[in-house]
Amino acid sequence: MTAPLTETGALGSTGELVAAPLIGMAFGWCLERPGLGYAPKLAGQFYLSDLTVYKVMFSALLTAMLGAFWLDRMGLLNLSLVSMPETYVLPQALGGVLFGAGFLVAGLCPGTSCVAAASGRLDGFCVIGGMLGGVALFHAVFPWVQRFYESTALGSVTFAEMLNVSRGMGIALVTLVALGGFAIAGRIEKARS
Amino acid sequence: MAGAGKPYSDPYLAGIGLGLVLLSAYVWVGRGLGASGAFSSVVVAASTGSASPLGDWLVLELVGVAAGGYLSARLAGRTRAAIERGPRVSRRGRIMAAACGGVLMGLGAKFARGCTSGQALSGGALLSAGSWIFIAACFATGYAFAPLARRLWR
Amino acid sequence: MNRRNAALAATAATLAGAAALADFRSPMEVDVAQLAAEIEAGDDHISALDLGERIMKGDGDIRVLDLRTEAEFGEFHIPGARLISIAALAKETLPRDATIALYSEGGAHAAQAWVLLRLRGYRKAVVLREGVYEWVSRVVEPRLAADATAAERTEFERAAVLSRYFGGVPRTGVGRSELRTGYWTDAAQARPDARSIRRRGC
Repeated sequence: MTAPLTETGALGSTGELVAAPLIGMAFGWCLERPGLGYAPKLAGQFYLSDLTVYKVMFSALLTAMLGAFWLDRMGLLNLSLVSMPETYVLPQALGGVLFGAGFLVAGLCPGTSCVAAASGRLDGFCVIGGMLGGVALFHAVFPWVQRFYESTALGSVTFAEMLNVSRGMGIALVTLVALGGFAIAGRIEKARS
Repeated sequence: MAGAGKPYSDPYLAGIGLGLVLLSAYVWVGRGLGASGAFSSVVVAASTGSASPLGDWLVLELVGVAAGGYLSARLAGRTRAAIERGPRVSRRGRIMAAACGGVLMGLGAKFARGCTSGQALSGGALLSAGSWIFIAACFATGYAFAPLARRLWR
Repeated sequence: MNRRNAALAATAATLAGAAALADFRSPMEVDVAQLAAEIEAGDDHISALDLGERIMKGDGDIRVLDLRTEAEFGEFHIPGARLISIAALAKETLPRDATIALYSEGGAHAAQAWVLLRLRGYRKAVVLREGVYEWVSRVVEPRLAADATAAERTEFERAAVLSRYFGGVPRTGVGRSELRTGYWTDAAQARPDARSIRRRGC
């Protein structure tokens, strides 16, 4: 296996840090190009008037998911060396609810708010400020939420493992859902035009 | 308005590009993309006065995100000092909403250990169960509360 | 839908379908006598140091499973470990090529889980003999006696590297009576703090 490069030694700790802004730049570029630095466009997702968020997010997810699986299969990437977030069922469910509400109201998420701010949008800066506040608020109330925050921990588990199916099966399921979503998105847009 | 500047890129192509960037992150540094973690680092560094946030990978990455976003916007003629908002909300209302939404996202991202970039996108592509729980909860909530937020966007 | 999108969708569907087919595996059979032989030979064990080194090196072929309760797991767990119940272990599909390292509080549940996995045909299961206790006392907080022998020193050096990597504290110059002797023989048992050893966030 030749990758991840940081795990095989091909990329050292300095290289790892240098890679960060480079990867970030490409990330920011890919967000701005389809207009994800423009809040009304992102919010349009929730009114089914503009499905860019869904299209970008899920085509990115599919690409990375399929790419990672096949690179691993071909012996070019060792997937088990790639950090996967750990699962905490209830905290992440609550986190999703809070985040979803915030996303709807703000029209930007952490990454896109930086793109918006970098493009000169004041709303981007305000979202950034709000997020810093939200994080600080979390730290302030941490002693009271700590038990909940650490509850229902399952470790680094995939939903495929939880459903007792193979990884390949899980990938097929996600692909089915994503492609189905693209088809529906197309129908919605046709109906509106 | 989105009128000025060049037209936006096709979302599917941009998405594939983004997916390749994410894949390159897996390959180069064995991790996915992220964003909210950088905000976390900054707050921690500010309050404890400890290690420089610049040493944190996510902070460096986010600086890159801003740079890349700026570059793309500049080249497309989309840079503008403005407050983007829906047609019926005032500037002040939009600013308040942006800040409040930000607070909610900051809280939510802490509980979830990530945001749309780190959990939904990067974790989702790795099939992480928690990431998919986050995706479902996030979008379900957004759609559920959309009617209440109509004045902001419609 | 236009031609290009149709082509992209078809490509994705093909790659995904192929992935599902490629990951299909059939169960293997097992022999009880052979299991007994492995247990006697001690092939079913992995030491905390070996485990720690494999995790640190980023050995992609190892999966670490925790057989304790949710509360215990949430409070502290071996980095990269995944919580699983014995009941789930009896049914779940796990990677057949990977080494599956099992641990529990003292080792009993892990040993039972080992038998179950082997019965299901997983050839590469191993047990951390003294569980979390061994991890904490041998890897996270290794101790070196003030009058240590050369052999003890060598082992300590190995442990110290791991300890620092996992954010622990190696201690030297310790009195002999303070050395940890084992899960069942120790007077004062180690109870790990609720530290979260974060290598990466998002």
